[in-house]
Amino acid sequence: MSEPVLQLNGISKHFGMTKALSNMSISLLAGEVHAIVGENGAGKSTMIKIMTGIHQPTSGAIKVDGATRVIAGPQAARDAGIAAIYQEPMVFPDLDVAENIFIGDKSSGILTRPAAQRKRARALIERIGIKLDPSRIASGLTLAEQQAVEIARALSQDVRVLIMDEPTASLSAHEAEQLRKIAKTLAGQGVAVVYISHRLEEIFEIADCVTVIRDGSHISTKPIAEVTSDGMIAEMVGREVGNYFAKAASTATDEVIFEVRNLTLDGVFEDISFDLHKGEVLCMAGLVGARRTDVALALFGVTPPTSGTVKYKGQTTHFTTPRDAIEAGIAYVSEDRRKLGLAMPMAIKSNVSLATLNDFLSPLGLLDRAEEDKVAHHFSDRLNIRTPDVETPVGMLSGGNQQKVMLAKWLNLNPELLIFDEPTRGIDIGAKAEVHDLIRTFVAEGGAALVISSDLPEVLAMGDRILVMREGHQMGILDHTEATQKAVMMQATGQMQEAV
Amino acid sequence: MTHFTKLTTAAALLLGTAGAAWADGHSVSLTPGEEINMVLLPKFLGILVFDQANEGAQEAHAELGNIGELLFVGPTPENSTAGQIEIMTTSATQGQGAVMISNNAGDQIVPSAVAAQAAGTRVVTWDSPIPSGEGEDVFVAQVDFASMGIVMADMAHSILGGAGQMAVLSATPDASNQNAWIAAMEVALEDEKYAGIELVDIVYGDDQAEVSYNRALALVDQYPDLGVIMSPTTVGIQAAAKAMQDEGLCDKVRVSGLGLPSEMVSYTMNGCAPEFALWDFRDLGYLTYYTAYGLASGQMTGEIGETFNAGRMGDFTIEEDPGRPGSSRILMGPFTVYTAENVEAASN
Amino acid sequence: MLSRVPPQTLRILALLLVLFAVLLFFSTQVPNYLNGRLFNRISSSVAIMALIACGQTLVILTRNIDLSIGSTVGFVAFATGSLITNNPDIPPLVLATYSVLLGACFGVVNGLLVAYARIPSIIVTLGTMALFRSALVEYSDAKSITTNNLPTWLVEFPNTQLFTIGTFQFRAAFVVAVLVVFAVHIALTRLRPARKIYAVGSNPEAAEMAGINTKLVVFFTFVLAGALAGLAGFMFLARFGTITVVAGLGFELKSVASAVVGGVNIFGGSGSVIGALIGAILVDLIDMSLVRWQLVSEFWREAVLGSLILLSVAADAILMRRLVKWRVAREKKQTKSGVSS
Repeated sequence: MSEPVLQLNGISKHFGMTKALSNMSISLLAGEVHAIVGENGAGKSTMIKIMTGIHQPTSGAIKVDGATRVIAGPQAARDAGIAAIYQEPMVFPDLDVAENIFIGDKSSGILTRPAAQRKRARALIERIGIKLDPSRIASGLTLAEQQAVEIARALSQDVRVLIMDEPTASLSAHEAEQLRKIAKTLAGQGVAVVYISHRLEEIFEIADCVTVIRDGSHISTKPIAEVTSDGMIAEMVGREVGNYFAKAASTATDEVIFEVRNLTLDGVFEDISFDLHKGEVLCMAGLVGARRTDVALALFGVTPPTSGTVKYKGQTTHFTTPRDAIEAGIAYVSEDRRKLGLAMPMAIKSNVSLATLNDFLSPLGLLDRAEEDKVAHHFSDRLNIRTPDVETPVGMLSGGNQQKVMLAKWLNLNPELLIFDEPTRGIDIGAKAEVHDLIRTFVAEGGAALVISSDLPEVLAMGDRILVMREGHQMGILDHTEATQKAVMMQATGQMQEAV
Repeated sequence: MTHFTKLTTAAALLLGTAGAAWADGHSVSLTPGEEINMVLLPKFLGILVFDQANEGAQEAHAELGNIGELLFVGPTPENSTAGQIEIMTTSATQGQGAVMISNNAGDQIVPSAVAAQAAGTRVVTWDSPIPSGEGEDVFVAQVDFASMGIVMADMAHSILGGAGQMAVLSATPDASNQNAWIAAMEVALEDEKYAGIELVDIVYGDDQAEVSYNRALALVDQYPDLGVIMSPTTVGIQAAAKAMQDEGLCDKVRVSGLGLPSEMVSYTMNGCAPEFALWDFRDLGYLTYYTAYGLASGQMTGEIGETFNAGRMGDFTIEEDPGRPGSSRILMGPFTVYTAENVEAASN
Repeated sequence: MLSRVPPQTLRILALLLVLFAVLLFFSTQVPNYLNGRLFNRISSSVAIMALIACGQTLVILTRNIDLSIGSTVGFVAFATGSLITNNPDIPPLVLATYSVLLGACFGVVNGLLVAYARIPSIIVTLGTMALFRSALVEYSDAKSITTNNLPTWLVEFPNTQLFTIGTFQFRAAFVVAVLVVFAVHIALTRLRPARKIYAVGSNPEAAEMAGINTKLVVFFTFVLAGALAGLAGFMFLARFGTITVVAGLGFELKSVASAVVGGVNIFGGSGSVIGALIGAILVDLIDMSLVRWQLVSEFWREAVLGSLILLSVAADAILMRRLVKWRVAREKKQTKSGVSS
């Protein structure tokens, strides 16, 4: 067997008292897709940051082509042929595609030659196997396109180790499939691909071998043939996972809380109609570009619809700002925690009380810190937020725990209708199950939930009914009794239409 | 030279009144050798005329044999108002005997000046007074505002040959000394003698070269028949003269006002600014120091009507300020009009 | 045709439209307004600000700001003035180089503190603004530089007419400033290292990940801005002759205004120095026209200037949005007709 391209030998990394990694070893071979799985907080990110030179290990050695090497910074990593792409791509929004690809390029002299650059960019993009105009400005690209730009950038620098960190978490099924194809292709071209994902089915599709890590330690590395889904999950969580995919009993009642008819936003979506019952979870499924988030934002008053009617608790309403919707008892838990959901540098308790500050005023009009503390502790316990204390800045928490803080923030409003946009995106299986439980508890107590999710098993497990959208159109509503992965995917990809 | 003579006459008249007071036998002669710490506080540091005032004050300091300290401290240009207030406050807490300030903070200085007085520090203003007179013991005025108005009108009259358009390029819109001089000039212009002179506009160059330069050019563009730009500020007159010279306009539009001979000499010689005026800032500093020393040492009361001897400059009397009723001033005078005949000698 | 124009160029077109509108408006309000003289006035006066706004733009592109730029101009003007006063035989090019290098030194101070000591630029330059100004007060010892001490070549340089078109005079200072701005523009758009300035401002994290030495880039822009301020200081000395300690006071905010009016994103990442140049022209034009507009009294001028700047920024933004919309609509139409045919 050939020499590993990149090897971590007994790497440990400590941040103050916290041990993020201890005695981690891993070998990456050229031409192999090496999957790494583990719960959030298991140490995957730290490991990537050590490979890409952002962090320096506290102890242990890194070997490139068998020779010990210090990766002092991102540039050194690039020089060693190591590149990473992330769930949230790192592009320069103000530059065009070609400029983005060749931003770190040193090979072609001091002058930029836009025409030649675009030509080279086009070749790289073709090698990845997608269509993208190199002169487009990056701020207008979809996430999938941005990732493609990043991969092209890595390719332009003769990448030998490509680390893909949750690359498909925000992609539609079709896009994700394409990305997996790219990963395979690159491995076929001799690149060592590190593939990190929470979608286990992906791993079985593309990985050659799987490494499981937990709590900063290496648990196992096995060829894919020797791995089973249950075994992998058991190793990740260190315990048997219960009924993650089990369907909970429906608590839906006959009382219609939300009635939407022919909701249309010109040029974005049209003729969306559904009822939402008290005690019900209605899931919205669809591929990226299906415009589900746009529907949610229209319902929440962010971008008011151009036509259609919305009845909330029997009354026709026109929310024109989120404030209107919040006052009516509707909460929207956003997909993008960083941008719309949480103030990262602020403490957990401040985030929890942010939307309801008026409830925390003492008679003098000052903030009642004790009350704030109490409420934050309450949610911290109820939602099982893992944190030393409620003063911890949210930015320091893992993704799953951030998601729980976000939930706490909105539950604190005592809403009757919760709109969840990708509530479990990028969080680990254990946390996913907890979030599902929380949503279930919420509707069982008399609420109603509208859940947007791209995770099909999740949609099938959560939804009492499933509304499928495709490119701004409502394709149908499936009852959970008739819903299968295949049925949903048929509608989401528009194959139903052809069949009819 | 006619103006020069007239001014000398006016000065003689002024000195005459002072002399009369002295003849009454009330003139205070200051006893030297006391220990009084004093602060000379300019609008801000780095301006030549303020340094000249400091030279005059240092001269008086030595002459009076004050064993205390004379500090020359001031704010930086971008921090003038706040800096002056801070220095005033600090001086009071340090127990300085007197603060001599060329006020650039308008009435904002009042609270700190009042506090300083309460702490036993005498507040003497020079060059630019406290508009309301509050917190101020006495203002040492470089020149009588009314006579300043007449001199400016006379210079315009001479440059324009009796008739033509004049515009004013001042410092900032709220500079109290410039505003008072312009008002005095407007009063003077009502006289029959100046009937041919039309004051067309007043603009402000913020005492900055680049703004003043552009304002001067804008005036020329706006008033095609403009004959003279009157700028009662050393920055404005210089910038206006440079602008006229740069654009080759000196034969049409002349510049006059208050200027420093060393900065204006070339423009006076080439005819861009044939006449301008200024008083001696060394003398102003010298007289201010004598006044502050007298007050702080308790040898003078500061009451209106009091006369004292200010060394080489002779006797001066404290009087009510005609421009600010209820406040008192000491009038220095005279000032010099510079022309091609005397500017070169003065510029060295 | 317009559909091929990149957004930056669209923005400049929109700015030019606003500039045209301002000219048109004042020509109805002010007698003897539209003529060669107006061009000569604005062009000579904008020469200095154009250089400063250009430097400021570079800094703003990296998500920073340089508030010390006015103090740098003042100090360099004074130091250059005293150098030539004491050594009148220094050749022109050496003197100009001295100004540029001295300005760059101030940029080094800012750059080190911002990029390597990681202090936010607004704090650093707020400090150095006062520091450089105080250094000038100390260094000048209350003396002023005066025109008669300067060599003739220096004083005459900015107003030397290089060529005239009709009644439009193209003077040395203006031509030099425009050439410098265009040189910087070409460098920004065509030099590979300059691309990094946009990258750092556009997404600093991604820039770090892409292996760009973001610290060096930020440091470098401050040094460049300092050098441009140095050159502006040289021009300032030549134009005004008399330099006191207040020289360049307020230039920092005027340069930021020029850049922002010129379409430079205050949050970094996008904008062009050509835009900043037009922005400087627009601000100067409005300022100068207001002096001649009898309807507005002195006391209201600042307020009207502020409102007009806001108005032109708003007009520019709206025009820009319209143009982009129109372009998108056209593109759609074209692709549709392309499909059907």
